[in-house]
Amino acid sequence: MTGHILPVPDEMSAPYWDACSRHELKLAHCSQCAKVTHPPDVTCPNCHSIEPDFVWKQVSGHGRVRSWTVIRQSFLSGFELPFLLVDVELDDHPDVRLIGRLIDGADTPLTLGDAVTLTFDDLAPGVAVPAFVMAGKS
Amino acid sequence: MSGTFEARNKVAIVGYAQSQVVRRPTEPLGVTTIRTAREAIADAGLKPQQIDGFAASALMPTSGGHEAQDGISTVSPAWLAEHLGIEPAYAVGFQGHGQLTGSLTLAVNAVASGAADYVLLHRALHNPPAGKYNDNPMTEAAGMMQWCAPQGFFGGLPAIAMVYTEYCQRYGATREAMAHVVTEARNNGAKLPWSYWHGKPITTENYLAEPVIVDPMCRLDCDIPVQGVGVFILTSAERAKDLPNKPVYMSGYANGYPQRHRLPLHWTLDDMEEAGQALSARLWEAAGISREEINLVQPYDAFSPFVYIWLEALGFTPLGEAHRFILDGGIDASRPNSIAALSGGGAIGNGRLHGLPQLLECYLQLSGRAGQRQRNVSNAVFSYSAPYFGGAAVLTNTP
Repeated sequence: MTGHILPVPDEMSAPYWDACSRHELKLAHCSQCAKVTHPPDVTCPNCHSIEPDFVWKQVSGHGRVRSWTVIRQSFLSGFELPFLLVDVELDDHPDVRLIGRLIDGADTPLTLGDAVTLTFDDLAPGVAVPAFVMAGKS
Repeated sequence: MSGTFEARNKVAIVGYAQSQVVRRPTEPLGVTTIRTAREAIADAGLKPQQIDGFAASALMPTSGGHEAQDGISTVSPAWLAEHLGIEPAYAVGFQGHGQLTGSLTLAVNAVASGAADYVLLHRALHNPPAGKYNDNPMTEAAGMMQWCAPQGFFGGLPAIAMVYTEYCQRYGATREAMAHVVTEARNNGAKLPWSYWHGKPITTENYLAEPVIVDPMCRLDCDIPVQGVGVFILTSAERAKDLPNKPVYMSGYANGYPQRHRLPLHWTLDDMEEAGQALSARLWEAAGISREEINLVQPYDAFSPFVYIWLEALGFTPLGEAHRFILDGGIDASRPNSIAALSGGGAIGNGRLHGLPQLLECYLQLSGRAGQRQRNVSNAVFSYSAPYFGGAAVLTNTP
Protein backbone atom coordinates (compact mmCIF):
# COMPACT_ATOMS: atom_id res chain seq x y z
CA MET A 1 0.00 0.00 0.00
CA THR A 2 1.58 3.25 -1.06
CA GLY A 3 -1.19 5.54 0.16
CA HIS A 4 0.33 7.85 2.73
CA ILE A 5 -2.57 9.75 4.13
CA LEU A 6 -2.18 9.11 7.81
CA PRO A 7 -5.10 9.26 10.20
CA VAL A 8 -4.86 11.86 12.96
CA PRO A 9 -6.24 10.18 16.10
CA ASP A 10 -8.29 12.35 18.42
CA GLU A 11 -9.83 11.78 21.82
CA MET A 12 -12.76 9.90 20.31
CA SER A 13 -10.82 7.79 17.82
CA ALA A 14 -7.57 7.05 19.68
CA PRO A 15 -8.69 3.58 20.95
CA TYR A 16 -9.63 2.61 17.39
CA TRP A 17 -6.26 3.55 15.89
CA ASP A 18 -4.41 2.03 18.85
CA ALA A 19 -6.11 -1.28 18.16
CA CYS A 20 -5.45 -0.99 14.41
CA SER A 21 -1.75 -0.54 15.09
CA ARG A 22 -1.87 -4.01 16.73
CA HIS A 23 -3.91 -5.32 13.75
CA GLU A 24 -7.06 -5.59 15.82
CA LEU A 25 -10.42 -4.14 14.84
CA LYS A 26 -12.21 -2.63 17.82
CA LEU A 27 -15.55 -0.88 17.48
CA ALA A 28 -17.33 1.52 19.80
CA HIS A 29 -20.17 0.05 21.90
CA CYS A 30 -22.50 2.45 23.68
CA SER A 31 -22.38 1.95 27.42
CA GLN A 32 -26.08 2.85 27.65
CA CYS A 33 -27.70 0.68 24.96
CA ALA A 34 -24.74 -1.65 24.23
CA LYS A 35 -25.19 -1.20 20.48
CA VAL A 36 -22.20 -0.82 18.22
CA THR A 37 -21.56 2.25 16.11
CA HIS A 38 -18.95 3.27 13.58
CA PRO A 39 -17.49 5.79 13.44
CA PRO A 40 -17.98 6.92 17.04
CA ASP A 41 -19.91 10.16 17.46
CA VAL A 42 -20.48 12.65 20.27
CA THR A 43 -23.78 10.91 20.96
CA CYS A 44 -24.95 7.35 20.41
CA PRO A 45 -26.71 7.26 17.03
CA ASN A 46 -28.80 4.31 18.22
CA CYS A 47 -30.22 5.39 21.60
CA HIS A 48 -29.26 9.09 21.22
CA SER A 49 -27.63 9.18 24.63
CA ILE A 50 -25.42 12.21 25.20
CA GLU A 51 -23.26 10.10 27.50
CA PRO A 52 -22.47 7.09 25.34
CA ASP A 53 -19.13 6.45 27.15
CA PHE A 54 -18.15 4.10 24.37
CA VAL A 55 -16.54 0.80 25.29
CA TRP A 56 -14.16 -0.53 22.64
CA LYS A 57 -14.58 -4.22 21.89
CA GLN A 58 -12.77 -6.36 19.39
CA VAL A 59 -14.88 -7.71 16.51
CA SER A 60 -14.13 -10.56 14.12
CA GLY A 61 -14.14 -8.48 10.95
CA HIS A 62 -15.84 -11.24 8.94
CA GLY A 63 -18.23 -9.73 6.49
CA ARG A 64 -20.02 -9.72 3.16
CA VAL A 65 -19.35 -7.52 0.18
CA ARG A 66 -22.27 -5.16 -0.34
CA SER A 67 -20.60 -3.16 -3.09
CA TRP A 68 -17.25 -2.20 -4.53
CA THR A 69 -15.40 0.13 -6.85
CA VAL A 70 -12.03 0.17 -8.54
CA ILE A 71 -10.22 3.48 -8.16
CA ARG A 72 -8.28 4.09 -11.38
CA GLN A 73 -7.99 7.85 -10.90
CA SER A 74 -7.92 9.48 -7.46
CA PHE A 75 -8.36 13.01 -6.16
CA LEU A 76 -5.80 12.09 -3.50
CA SER A 77 -2.13 11.75 -4.22
CA GLY A 78 0.26 8.99 -3.23
CA PHE A 79 -1.90 5.94 -3.95
CA GLU A 80 -0.71 3.19 -6.23
CA LEU A 81 -3.42 2.86 -8.89
CA PRO A 82 -5.60 1.01 -9.53
CA PHE A 83 -6.93 -0.36 -6.26
CA LEU A 84 -10.23 -1.94 -5.29
CA LEU A 85 -12.35 -0.76 -2.39
CA VAL A 86 -15.06 -2.96 -0.90
CA ASP A 87 -18.11 -1.87 1.08
CA VAL A 88 -18.40 -4.58 3.73
CA GLU A 89 -21.32 -5.39 6.00
CA LEU A 90 -20.01 -7.07 9.15
CA ASP A 91 -21.50 -10.49 9.90
CA ASP A 92 -21.72 -9.82 13.63
CA HIS A 93 -22.93 -6.22 13.26
CA PRO A 94 -24.98 -5.84 10.08
CA ASP A 95 -25.68 -2.18 10.83
CA VAL A 96 -21.98 -1.43 10.51
CA ARG A 97 -20.47 -1.13 7.07
CA LEU A 98 -16.78 -0.53 6.56
CA ILE A 99 -14.92 0.50 3.45
CA GLY A 100 -11.44 -0.86 2.89
CA ARG A 101 -9.04 -1.98 0.22
CA LEU A 102 -9.39 -5.54 -1.07
CA ILE A 103 -5.81 -6.71 -1.05
CA ASP A 104 -6.45 -9.51 -3.56
CA GLY A 105 -6.04 -6.90 -6.29
CA ALA A 106 -7.98 -4.56 -8.53
CA ASP A 107 -9.03 -7.25 -11.02
CA THR A 108 -10.53 -9.63 -8.44
CA PRO A 109 -13.89 -10.86 -9.74
CA LEU A 110 -16.63 -10.06 -7.23
CA THR A 111 -20.31 -10.65 -6.74
CA LEU A 112 -22.63 -9.16 -4.13
CA GLY A 113 -22.49 -11.15 -0.91
CA ASP A 114 -18.97 -12.53 -1.35
CA ALA A 115 -17.36 -13.36 2.01
CA VAL A 116 -14.33 -11.38 3.09
CA THR A 117 -12.18 -11.31 6.19
CA LEU A 118 -10.27 -8.57 7.90
CA THR A 119 -6.65 -7.74 7.32
CA PHE A 120 -4.65 -4.53 7.65
CA ASP A 121 -2.68 -2.19 5.44
CA ASP A 122 0.40 -0.84 7.22
CA LEU A 123 0.69 2.83 6.27
CA ALA A 124 3.69 3.72 8.42
CA PRO A 125 5.42 2.25 11.46
CA GLY A 126 2.68 1.85 14.09
CA VAL A 127 -0.07 3.06 11.75
CA ALA A 128 -2.42 0.58 10.08
CA VAL A 129 -5.83 0.83 8.43
CA PRO A 130 -8.36 -2.01 8.10
CA ALA A 131 -8.46 -3.77 4.75
CA PHE A 132 -10.09 -6.95 3.50
CA VAL A 133 -9.17 -10.19 1.79
CA MET A 134 -11.40 -12.74 0.06
CA ALA A 135 -12.41 -15.37 2.64
CA GLY A 136 -10.35 -18.52 2.55
CA LYS A 137 -7.41 -16.83 0.87
CA SER A 138 -5.77 -15.09 3.81
CA MET B 1 -45.67 19.04 8.52
CA SER B 2 -48.40 16.67 7.43
CA GLY B 3 -51.10 17.23 4.86
CA THR B 4 -51.12 19.68 1.99
CA PHE B 5 -48.65 22.59 2.04
CA GLU B 6 -50.55 25.58 3.43
CA ALA B 7 -48.96 27.93 0.94
CA ARG B 8 -49.68 25.59 -1.97
CA ASN B 9 -49.73 27.60 -5.22
CA LYS B 10 -49.63 30.89 -3.30
CA VAL B 11 -46.01 31.66 -4.22
CA ALA B 12 -44.83 32.00 -7.81
CA ILE B 13 -41.64 32.28 -9.80
CA VAL B 14 -42.03 35.40 -11.93
CA GLY B 15 -38.65 35.86 -13.57
CA TYR B 16 -35.22 34.37 -14.07
CA ALA B 17 -31.80 34.77 -15.56
CA GLN B 18 -29.14 32.20 -16.35
CA SER B 19 -25.53 33.25 -16.88
CA GLN B 20 -23.29 31.85 -19.54
CA VAL B 21 -21.73 28.65 -18.19
CA VAL B 22 -17.95 28.76 -18.52
CA ARG B 23 -15.22 26.28 -17.65
CA ARG B 24 -12.79 28.82 -16.17
CA PRO B 25 -13.90 32.15 -14.76
CA THR B 26 -12.66 35.36 -16.33
CA GLU B 27 -14.25 37.49 -13.62
CA PRO B 28 -15.06 37.14 -9.90
CA LEU B 29 -18.14 35.05 -9.19
CA GLY B 30 -19.75 38.06 -7.50
CA VAL B 31 -19.63 40.03 -10.76
CA THR B 32 -21.33 37.24 -12.70
CA THR B 33 -23.93 37.00 -9.94
CA ILE B 34 -24.69 40.73 -9.87
CA ARG B 35 -25.08 40.84 -13.65
CA THR B 36 -27.37 37.78 -13.60
CA ALA B 37 -29.38 39.15 -10.67
CA ARG B 38 -29.98 42.46 -12.48
CA GLU B 39 -31.14 40.55 -15.59
CA ALA B 40 -33.54 38.45 -13.51
CA ILE B 41 -35.01 41.48 -11.74
CA ALA B 42 -35.59 43.19 -15.08
CA ASP B 43 -37.00 39.97 -16.55
CA ALA B 44 -39.58 39.90 -13.76
CA GLY B 45 -40.60 43.49 -14.63
CA LEU B 46 -39.24 44.83 -11.34
CA LYS B 47 -36.78 47.48 -10.16
CA PRO B 48 -33.88 46.47 -7.88
CA GLN B 49 -35.30 48.48 -4.97
CA GLN B 50 -38.45 46.33 -5.02
CA ILE B 51 -36.43 43.25 -4.05
CA ASP B 52 -36.64 42.98 -0.28
CA GLY B 53 -35.69 39.36 0.26
CA PHE B 54 -32.61 37.29 -0.60
CA ALA B 55 -32.17 33.53 -0.26
CA ALA B 56 -29.29 31.30 -1.27
CA SER B 57 -26.89 28.65 -0.13
CA ALA B 58 -23.22 29.50 -0.21
CA LEU B 59 -22.03 25.98 0.63
CA MET B 60 -19.79 24.26 -1.89
CA PRO B 61 -19.47 26.79 -4.62
CA THR B 62 -16.49 24.55 -5.35
CA SER B 63 -14.81 21.46 -3.90
CA GLY B 64 -11.34 20.11 -3.20
CA GLY B 65 -8.78 22.03 -1.18
CA HIS B 66 -9.94 25.51 -2.17
CA GLU B 67 -10.78 28.28 0.24
CA ALA B 68 -14.12 29.97 -0.51
CA GLN B 69 -14.07 33.80 -0.55
CA ASP B 70 -17.32 35.75 -0.53
CA GLY B 71 -17.73 37.67 -3.78
CA ILE B 72 -14.83 35.87 -5.45
CA SER B 73 -15.56 32.16 -5.32
CA THR B 74 -18.84 32.11 -3.41
CA VAL B 75 -21.71 34.60 -3.04
CA SER B 76 -23.75 34.87 0.13
CA PRO B 77 -27.22 36.46 0.15
CA ALA B 78 -26.00 39.38 2.29
CA TRP B 79 -23.03 40.01 -0.02
CA LEU B 80 -25.30 40.10 -3.05
CA ALA B 81 -27.81 42.45 -1.42
CA GLU B 82 -25.08 44.84 -0.32
CA HIS B 83 -23.39 44.84 -3.73
CA LEU B 84 -26.68 45.45 -5.52
CA GLY B 85 -27.16 48.46 -3.25
CA ILE B 86 -30.23 47.01 -1.60
CA GLU B 87 -31.01 46.99 2.10
CA PRO B 88 -33.18 43.89 2.38
CA ALA B 89 -35.86 43.17 4.94
CA TYR B 90 -34.79 39.55 4.89
CA ALA B 91 -31.58 37.87 3.73
CA VAL B 92 -31.28 34.21 4.57
CA GLY B 93 -28.84 31.42 3.76
CA PHE B 94 -29.48 27.72 3.75
CA GLN B 95 -26.87 25.73 5.65
CA GLY B 96 -25.85 22.21 4.79
CA HIS B 97 -26.39 19.91 1.83
CA GLY B 98 -29.51 20.14 -0.29
CA GLN B 99 -28.43 23.64 -1.26
CA LEU B 100 -30.82 24.49 -4.09
CA THR B 101 -33.99 22.86 -2.78
CA GLY B 102 -33.10 24.06 0.73
CA SER B 103 -32.70 27.69 -0.32
CA LEU B 104 -35.75 27.51 -2.61
CA THR B 105 -37.69 26.39 0.44
CA LEU B 106 -36.46 29.43 2.37
CA ALA B 107 -37.46 31.72 -0.50
CA VAL B 108 -40.94 30.22 -0.78
CA ASN B 109 -41.49 30.42 2.96
CA ALA B 110 -40.31 34.02 3.06
CA VAL B 111 -42.97 35.06 0.54
CA ALA B 112 -45.65 32.83 2.07
CA SER B 113 -45.08 34.25 5.54
CA GLY B 114 -44.88 37.84 4.36
CA ALA B 115 -41.28 38.18 5.54
CA ALA B 116 -40.54 39.60 2.10
CA ASP B 117 -42.60 40.61 -0.93
CA TYR B 118 -40.12 39.93 -3.73
CA VAL B 119 -37.40 37.37 -3.04
CA LEU B 120 -34.31 36.87 -5.16
CA LEU B 121 -33.05 33.28 -5.06
CA HIS B 122 -29.61 32.64 -6.47
CA ARG B 123 -27.12 29.83 -6.81
CA ALA B 124 -23.57 30.61 -7.86
CA LEU B 125 -21.06 27.89 -8.71
CA HIS B 126 -17.33 28.32 -9.06
CA ASN B 127 -14.50 26.46 -10.70
CA PRO B 128 -11.02 27.74 -9.83
CA PRO B 129 -9.19 29.58 -12.63
CA ALA B 130 -6.42 26.97 -12.54
CA GLY B 131 -5.81 23.55 -11.09
CA LYS B 132 -8.11 20.60 -10.58
CA TYR B 133 -11.51 21.14 -9.05
CA ASN B 134 -11.58 18.10 -6.78
CA ASP B 135 -7.91 17.45 -6.06
CA ASN B 136 -6.99 17.51 -2.41
CA PRO B 137 -3.37 17.67 -1.33
CA MET B 138 -3.95 16.24 2.15
CA THR B 139 -1.23 14.05 3.65
CA GLU B 140 -3.02 13.44 6.89
CA ALA B 141 -6.68 13.05 7.69
CA ALA B 142 -8.23 14.50 10.83
CA GLY B 143 -11.84 14.69 11.97
CA MET B 144 -14.33 12.83 9.82
CA MET B 145 -11.83 12.31 7.02
CA GLN B 146 -9.76 9.96 9.22
CA TRP B 147 -12.45 7.31 8.71
CA CYS B 148 -12.16 7.14 4.92
CA ALA B 149 -9.21 9.00 3.36
CA PRO B 150 -6.41 6.72 4.73
CA GLN B 151 -7.81 3.80 2.72
CA GLY B 152 -8.28 5.99 -0.37
CA PHE B 153 -12.04 6.51 -0.15
CA PHE B 154 -12.57 10.18 -0.85
CA GLY B 155 -14.96 12.38 -2.82
CA GLY B 156 -18.34 12.04 -4.42
CA LEU B 157 -17.25 9.89 -7.35
CA PRO B 158 -16.27 6.76 -5.36
CA ALA B 159 -19.34 7.37 -3.20
CA ILE B 160 -21.79 7.20 -6.11
CA ALA B 161 -19.75 4.45 -7.79
CA MET B 162 -20.44 2.18 -4.81
CA VAL B 163 -24.18 2.85 -5.12
CA TYR B 164 -24.09 2.32 -8.88
CA THR B 165 -22.18 -0.97 -8.62
CA GLU B 166 -24.79 -2.30 -6.23
CA TYR B 167 -27.58 -1.05 -8.51
CA CYS B 168 -26.10 -2.77 -11.58
CA GLN B 169 -25.50 -6.01 -9.71
CA ARG B 170 -28.90 -6.08 -8.05
CA TYR B 171 -31.03 -5.00 -11.01
CA GLY B 172 -29.01 -5.95 -14.07
CA ALA B 173 -28.50 -2.42 -15.40
CA THR B 174 -26.12 -2.13 -18.33
CA ARG B 175 -23.77 0.51 -19.66
CA GLU B 176 -26.02 0.74 -22.73
CA ALA B 177 -28.86 2.01 -20.53
CA MET B 178 -26.62 4.66 -18.99
CA ALA B 179 -25.42 5.65 -22.46
CA HIS B 180 -29.05 6.55 -23.13
CA VAL B 181 -29.13 8.84 -20.06
CA VAL B 182 -25.87 10.59 -20.84
CA THR B 183 -26.48 11.11 -24.55
CA GLU B 184 -29.98 12.44 -23.80
CA ALA B 185 -28.50 14.97 -21.34
CA ARG B 186 -25.63 16.03 -23.57
CA ASN B 187 -27.66 16.23 -26.75
CA ASN B 188 -30.37 18.34 -25.15
CA GLY B 189 -27.72 20.46 -23.44
CA ALA B 190 -25.96 20.95 -26.77
CA LYS B 191 -29.00 22.94 -27.98
CA LEU B 192 -28.90 25.44 -25.09
CA PRO B 193 -27.05 28.68 -25.90
CA TRP B 194 -25.82 29.19 -22.30
CA SER B 195 -24.60 25.61 -21.79
CA TYR B 196 -20.91 24.81 -21.52
CA TRP B 197 -21.66 21.90 -23.87
CA HIS B 198 -23.50 24.07 -26.44
CA GLY B 199 -22.95 22.64 -29.91
CA LYS B 200 -21.17 19.55 -28.55
CA PRO B 201 -23.51 16.55 -28.70
CA ILE B 202 -22.16 13.03 -28.18
CA THR B 203 -23.06 9.60 -29.51
CA THR B 204 -23.68 6.28 -27.79
CA GLU B 205 -20.38 5.14 -29.29
CA ASN B 206 -18.56 8.08 -27.65
CA TYR B 207 -19.98 7.06 -24.30
CA LEU B 208 -19.24 3.36 -24.64
CA ALA B 209 -15.67 4.09 -25.74
CA GLU B 210 -14.98 6.27 -22.69
CA PRO B 211 -12.69 4.51 -20.20
CA VAL B 212 -14.01 3.78 -16.73
CA ILE B 213 -12.14 5.80 -14.08
CA VAL B 214 -13.89 4.77 -10.87
CA ASP B 215 -15.78 1.57 -11.72
CA PRO B 216 -18.40 1.58 -13.14
CA MET B 217 -18.28 5.35 -13.66
CA CYS B 218 -16.58 7.08 -16.57
CA ARG B 219 -15.86 10.78 -17.00
CA LEU B 220 -19.04 11.31 -19.04
CA ASP B 221 -21.15 10.11 -16.08
CA CYS B 222 -20.02 13.21 -14.17
CA ASP B 223 -20.95 16.85 -14.65
CA ILE B 224 -18.03 19.10 -15.48
CA PRO B 225 -17.02 21.80 -12.95
CA VAL B 226 -17.89 25.25 -14.27
CA GLN B 227 -18.58 28.80 -13.23
CA GLY B 228 -22.22 29.72 -13.65
CA VAL B 229 -25.08 31.46 -11.90
CA GLY B 230 -28.84 31.08 -11.94
CA VAL B 231 -31.29 33.56 -10.41
CA PHE B 232 -35.05 33.31 -9.84
CA ILE B 233 -37.47 35.95 -8.58
CA LEU B 234 -40.36 34.82 -6.38
CA THR B 235 -43.39 36.68 -5.16
CA SER B 236 -46.97 36.00 -4.12
CA ALA B 237 -49.48 34.63 -6.61
CA GLU B 238 -51.48 37.80 -6.00
CA ARG B 239 -48.63 40.16 -6.93
CA ALA B 240 -47.62 37.90 -9.82
CA LYS B 241 -50.85 38.87 -11.64
CA ASP B 242 -49.44 42.35 -12.30
CA LEU B 243 -46.10 41.14 -13.70
CA PRO B 244 -45.24 40.42 -17.34
CA ASN B 245 -44.40 36.69 -17.30
CA LYS B 246 -46.76 33.78 -16.88
CA PRO B 247 -46.37 32.77 -13.22
CA VAL B 248 -45.16 29.33 -12.23
CA TYR B 249 -46.56 28.35 -8.86
CA MET B 250 -44.88 26.33 -6.14
CA SER B 251 -47.23 23.52 -5.19
CA GLY B 252 -45.10 21.86 -2.57
CA TYR B 253 -41.69 20.59 -1.61
CA ALA B 254 -40.00 17.95 0.50
CA ASN B 255 -36.45 17.76 1.78
CA GLY B 256 -34.58 14.72 3.06
CA TYR B 257 -31.95 14.31 5.75
CA PRO B 258 -29.55 11.50 6.70
CA GLN B 259 -31.14 8.88 8.92
CA ARG B 260 -28.28 6.43 9.23
CA HIS B 261 -24.92 6.94 10.81
CA ARG B 262 -22.31 6.10 8.19
CA LEU B 263 -18.73 6.82 7.26
CA PRO B 264 -18.31 10.20 5.54
CA LEU B 265 -19.57 10.01 1.96
CA HIS B 266 -20.56 6.40 2.42
CA TRP B 267 -23.69 6.38 0.32
CA THR B 268 -25.61 3.12 -0.02
CA LEU B 269 -28.35 2.02 -2.39
CA ASP B 270 -30.53 0.90 0.53
CA ASP B 271 -30.27 4.33 2.19
CA MET B 272 -31.07 6.10 -1.09
CA GLU B 273 -34.12 3.91 -1.71
CA GLU B 274 -35.43 4.14 1.83
CA ALA B 275 -35.04 7.92 2.00
CA GLY B 276 -36.45 8.33 -1.50
CA GLN B 277 -39.69 6.54 -0.69
CA ALA B 278 -40.18 8.62 2.47
CA LEU B 279 -39.40 11.92 0.74
CA SER B 280 -41.66 11.09 -2.16
CA ALA B 281 -44.63 10.34 0.10
CA ARG B 282 -44.19 13.73 1.83
CA LEU B 283 -43.80 15.51 -1.51
CA TRP B 284 -47.00 14.28 -3.12
CA GLU B 285 -48.97 14.93 0.05
CA ALA B 286 -47.57 18.47 0.39
CA ALA B 287 -48.18 19.28 -3.29
CA GLY B 288 -51.74 17.97 -3.20
CA ILE B 289 -51.24 16.33 -6.55
CA SER B 290 -50.64 12.79 -7.70
CA ARG B 291 -47.69 11.52 -9.67
CA GLU B 292 -50.02 10.70 -12.57
CA GLU B 293 -50.76 14.41 -13.07
CA ILE B 294 -47.08 15.25 -13.61
CA ASN B 295 -46.00 15.62 -17.21
CA LEU B 296 -42.44 16.86 -16.83
CA VAL B 297 -39.79 15.35 -14.55
CA GLN B 298 -36.32 16.83 -14.11
CA PRO B 299 -34.27 14.56 -11.83
CA TYR B 300 -30.85 15.57 -10.50
CA ASP B 301 -28.01 14.14 -12.55
CA ALA B 302 -24.66 15.46 -11.31
CA PHE B 303 -23.66 11.81 -11.43
CA SER B 304 -25.70 9.91 -13.99
CA PRO B 305 -26.93 7.14 -11.58
CA PHE B 306 -28.92 9.79 -9.72
CA VAL B 307 -31.37 9.74 -12.63
CA TYR B 308 -32.25 6.11 -11.79
CA ILE B 309 -32.35 6.85 -8.06
CA TRP B 310 -34.73 9.79 -8.44
CA LEU B 311 -37.06 8.35 -11.09
CA GLU B 312 -37.56 5.38 -8.78
CA ALA B 313 -37.76 7.47 -5.59
CA LEU B 314 -40.44 9.70 -7.09
CA GLY B 315 -42.36 6.66 -8.23
CA PHE B 316 -42.13 7.08 -12.00
CA THR B 317 -40.86 3.50 -12.20
CA PRO B 318 -40.75 0.67 -9.66
CA LEU B 319 -37.45 0.16 -7.78
CA GLY B 320 -34.81 -1.31 -10.06
CA GLU B 321 -36.75 -0.56 -13.25
CA ALA B 322 -35.59 2.93 -14.23
CA HIS B 323 -32.85 1.61 -16.51
CA ARG B 324 -35.40 -0.47 -18.47
CA PHE B 325 -37.90 2.41 -18.61
CA ILE B 326 -35.13 4.58 -20.05
CA LEU B 327 -34.06 1.97 -22.62
CA ASP B 328 -37.70 1.85 -23.74
CA GLY B 329 -37.61 5.59 -24.52
CA GLY B 330 -39.39 6.70 -21.34
CA ILE B 331 -37.34 9.89 -20.95
CA ASP B 332 -36.76 10.78 -24.62
CA ALA B 333 -37.47 14.48 -25.14
CA SER B 334 -38.15 13.70 -28.81
CA ARG B 335 -41.32 11.85 -27.76
CA PRO B 336 -44.19 14.23 -26.94
CA ASN B 337 -45.67 12.05 -24.20
CA SER B 338 -42.49 11.04 -22.40
CA ILE B 339 -41.52 12.55 -19.04
CA ALA B 340 -38.57 14.21 -20.87
CA ALA B 341 -36.37 13.79 -17.81
CA LEU B 342 -33.33 15.55 -19.31
CA SER B 343 -35.02 17.99 -21.70
CA GLY B 344 -33.19 20.82 -19.96
CA GLY B 345 -29.85 19.07 -20.36
CA GLY B 346 -29.40 18.52 -16.64
CA ALA B 347 -26.02 19.03 -15.06
CA ILE B 348 -24.39 16.59 -17.46
CA GLY B 349 -25.61 18.68 -20.40
CA ASN B 350 -24.97 22.14 -18.89
CA GLY B 351 -22.10 21.86 -16.43
CA ARG B 352 -21.99 21.45 -12.68
CA LEU B 353 -24.79 23.80 -11.64
CA HIS B 354 -26.18 21.93 -8.63
CA GLY B 355 -29.82 21.55 -9.64
CA LEU B 356 -30.21 24.86 -11.48
CA PRO B 357 -30.82 23.22 -14.89
CA GLN B 358 -33.62 21.14 -13.39
CA LEU B 359 -35.41 24.08 -11.75
CA LEU B 360 -34.81 26.26 -14.80
CA GLU B 361 -36.29 23.72 -17.22
CA CYS B 362 -39.39 23.32 -15.05
CA TYR B 363 -39.79 27.10 -14.96
CA LEU B 364 -39.21 27.62 -18.70
CA GLN B 365 -41.56 24.82 -19.76
CA LEU B 366 -44.34 25.80 -17.34
CA SER B 367 -44.13 29.50 -18.19
CA GLY B 368 -44.19 28.76 -21.91
CA ARG B 369 -40.72 30.21 -22.40
CA ALA B 370 -38.85 27.09 -23.57
CA GLY B 371 -38.67 28.17 -27.21
CA GLN B 372 -38.12 25.31 -29.64
CA ARG B 373 -38.09 22.85 -26.71
CA GLN B 374 -41.55 23.91 -25.59
CA ARG B 375 -43.72 21.01 -24.44
CA ASN B 376 -47.37 20.93 -23.51
CA VAL B 377 -47.03 20.64 -19.73
CA SER B 378 -48.99 21.76 -16.70
CA ASN B 379 -47.28 20.13 -13.70
CA ALA B 380 -43.60 19.43 -13.20
CA VAL B 381 -41.32 18.01 -10.54
CA PHE B 382 -37.59 18.49 -10.09
CA SER B 383 -35.12 17.08 -7.62
CA TYR B 384 -31.72 18.01 -6.32
CA SER B 385 -28.86 16.06 -4.74
CA ALA B 386 -29.64 12.69 -3.11
CA PRO B 387 -32.91 11.77 -1.39
CA TYR B 388 -31.36 12.05 2.08
CA PHE B 389 -29.46 15.29 1.68
CA GLY B 390 -31.46 17.00 -0.97
CA GLY B 391 -35.03 17.52 -1.96
CA ALA B 392 -37.69 17.82 -4.59
CA ALA B 393 -40.39 20.32 -5.47
CA VAL B 394 -43.57 20.34 -7.55
CA LEU B 395 -44.40 23.34 -9.74
CA THR B 396 -47.50 24.12 -11.79
CA ASN B 397 -48.89 26.66 -14.23
CA THR B 398 -52.49 25.62 -13.54
CA PRO B 399 -53.19 26.14 -9.85
